[in-house]
Amino acid sequence: MAGIELKNISKVYGGSVVAVDDISLEIKDGEFMIFLGPSGCGKSTTLRMIGGLESISKGDLLIGGKRMNDVDPADRDIAIVFQNYALYPHMTVAGNLGFGLKLRGVDRGEIERRIKAISSMMGIEALLERKPAQLSGGQRQRVALGRALVREPQAFLLDEPLSNLDAKLRAAMRTELIKLHHKVGTTIIHVTHDQIEAMTMGQRICIMKDGHIIQVGAPLDVYRNPANTFVAGFLASPPMNLVTGRLEGNGGGDLHALAGAARLPIPEAFRAGYAGHSGAAVTVGLRPEDFHLAPLAGRSVPVAVRTVAVELLGPEVILVAELGGAGGPEIQARMPRDFLARPGAELTLHYDLTQIHLFDGQSGTALARPQIA
Amino acid sequence: MMVRMGQASNAADRRDRRFGYALAAPSLTVLFLIILFPVLSALFTSLHEYTLIAPNFDTFTGLANFKAALGDAEFRHSAWLTLRFVIGVVLLEFVIGFGVALMLNKVERFKPVYYAILLCPLLMNPVIVGLIWRMFLHPNLGIVNYLLGTIGISPVNWLGDTKIAIWTVILVDIWHQVSFMIVLLLAGLSSLPKEPYEAARVDGANAFQCFVHITLPMMRTVIIVTLLIRFIFAVKTYDLIYIMTRGGPGVATDLVSYFIYRTAFVSLNIGEASAMSILLLTAILALTAYLYRYMRSLN
Repeated sequence: MAGIELKNISKVYGGSVVAVDDISLEIKDGEFMIFLGPSGCGKSTTLRMIGGLESISKGDLLIGGKRMNDVDPADRDIAIVFQNYALYPHMTVAGNLGFGLKLRGVDRGEIERRIKAISSMMGIEALLERKPAQLSGGQRQRVALGRALVREPQAFLLDEPLSNLDAKLRAAMRTELIKLHHKVGTTIIHVTHDQIEAMTMGQRICIMKDGHIIQVGAPLDVYRNPANTFVAGFLASPPMNLVTGRLEGNGGGDLHALAGAARLPIPEAFRAGYAGHSGAAVTVGLRPEDFHLAPLAGRSVPVAVRTVAVELLGPEVILVAELGGAGGPEIQARMPRDFLARPGAELTLHYDLTQIHLFDGQSGTALARPQIA
Repeated sequence: MMVRMGQASNAADRRDRRFGYALAAPSLTVLFLIILFPVLSALFTSLHEYTLIAPNFDTFTGLANFKAALGDAEFRHSAWLTLRFVIGVVLLEFVIGFGVALMLNKVERFKPVYYAILLCPLLMNPVIVGLIWRMFLHPNLGIVNYLLGTIGISPVNWLGDTKIAIWTVILVDIWHQVSFMIVLLLAGLSSLPKEPYEAARVDGANAFQCFVHITLPMMRTVIIVTLLIRFIFAVKTYDLIYIMTRGGPGVATDLVSYFIYRTAFVSLNIGEASAMSILLLTAILALTAYLYRYMRSLN
């Protein structure tokens, strides 16, 4: 087992296309780290550089404290699970599991013992003589994971391994991967564009965009304190409502954010941090789950909204409404499952002010304030 | 209700099928006239004593022509020579073709240029190829011997030496047909998935192990189909022989297609030549049927 350290790593294609731009990150030994970001953000490229499938244009990669930039993938003692499984199509499941060991000259008895152990752990004993074409997506995924596990590597690199599975299977495999990590305790880097996977699986999330790391932190931490509007709009579903507004008032009790026609007083805890930005254009971040039907003692403020649409999801209702009345900016709010409203209906919701986020109106960076724990 | 709907759709199906046959009928008729009729006619002829001196079907001889053909040492020689020629040509073209295809598969720039150059020989008529090479290989006036002479190698009688002639034909055939192998194998190689190779790299396979354990098994079907197609075509080789050697010197390059031609139009024994072509056709049909069944078994 080993920690992985990226020091100022860049990937440049053809001398000009920068896929990954000077990123630094330390992944602790035994950590479950998620690389999260939209397509083309450089997360897979970063993973492939760690795995040795892409060369590193600049910077240093350390695995277990040793520089690995020019080490062959086979000698980095890592295993990669690919998005489309990349099983050897002409080999049986047993052949797929044992191929790496065979190449490493592990003796036959040992290979068989390990294949047996891993296949029973992954629940694929009955499939050992089958070819990949005869397996379902979930079974292939298990074989691919088994092939990674059987080598007992220092770290697992998972490149969107769940994205080809259907929703139900994906949820099941999520749980299984978490259990697996508890069991083997090996460092795992999991690349995904699915924010649910990111929130539920990882110990830390590294959010990437355009080849840069935007924010690194524990899932709830990132959710509660997004570093900028990109993270705020990317995590959670539905994501944070981002409303163009203005911060007004002097430093005292009348400091408030204007979001459309809604006036949102800044709670005392945040005043010191936000006061310096009074008069500036800001983006106000309001999470859908922070709108309530009843007032919260001492920390909420009533806001008028006009119903646009109501989405019945079953466990909850998503209310799409115009903030501050007709013509106001459109927001989404999470309502309890028995909530009902006609389009056009005027309502009063209560917004939990302790959860308010303000971002710089130009750069989108979160304005400094105490972290929400 | 359900039953009636079923019947209605069956009637519609039948109507569709009849209409389909009606549409295909003209081309089927033409195909019958130009392909099936000559084949049946050859079969009929092969059962009679039919020569160009006595062109009639008066004497039914049963399988006598087949017996005569199989008993003919020259026919057996040319059949055996053809088998060796075909195996030699196909194997050499495969080895060269696969090698070049593997190299070209790694090439990233100017790929279309390589393709265009490779396809040039394929676009040429075999007769032209034969004529050009006969000129190149002329013992006294050919450029090949001239070039060999400049580095001190004495002239070779490429097409006149009984030991060398068949190899010369094989080399010219390779020059002409190897691109076919390259193009097919290259198409196969470039459609292979990349991921198993990456998985193998992580698993610790070197280039040779990747080739043996990944490329060859994944290319298996492409390789078999390519070999079979080329095999079938090589069995029919005729034009090159006709232009370059006329089966000679002696019978050193007397491939079976050319021998059949000689039997029919030099010896004027149409009956026996027909029997030989039926034998050849049977062999090619057997190969084709195997190829067809193999390709169907893949789906």
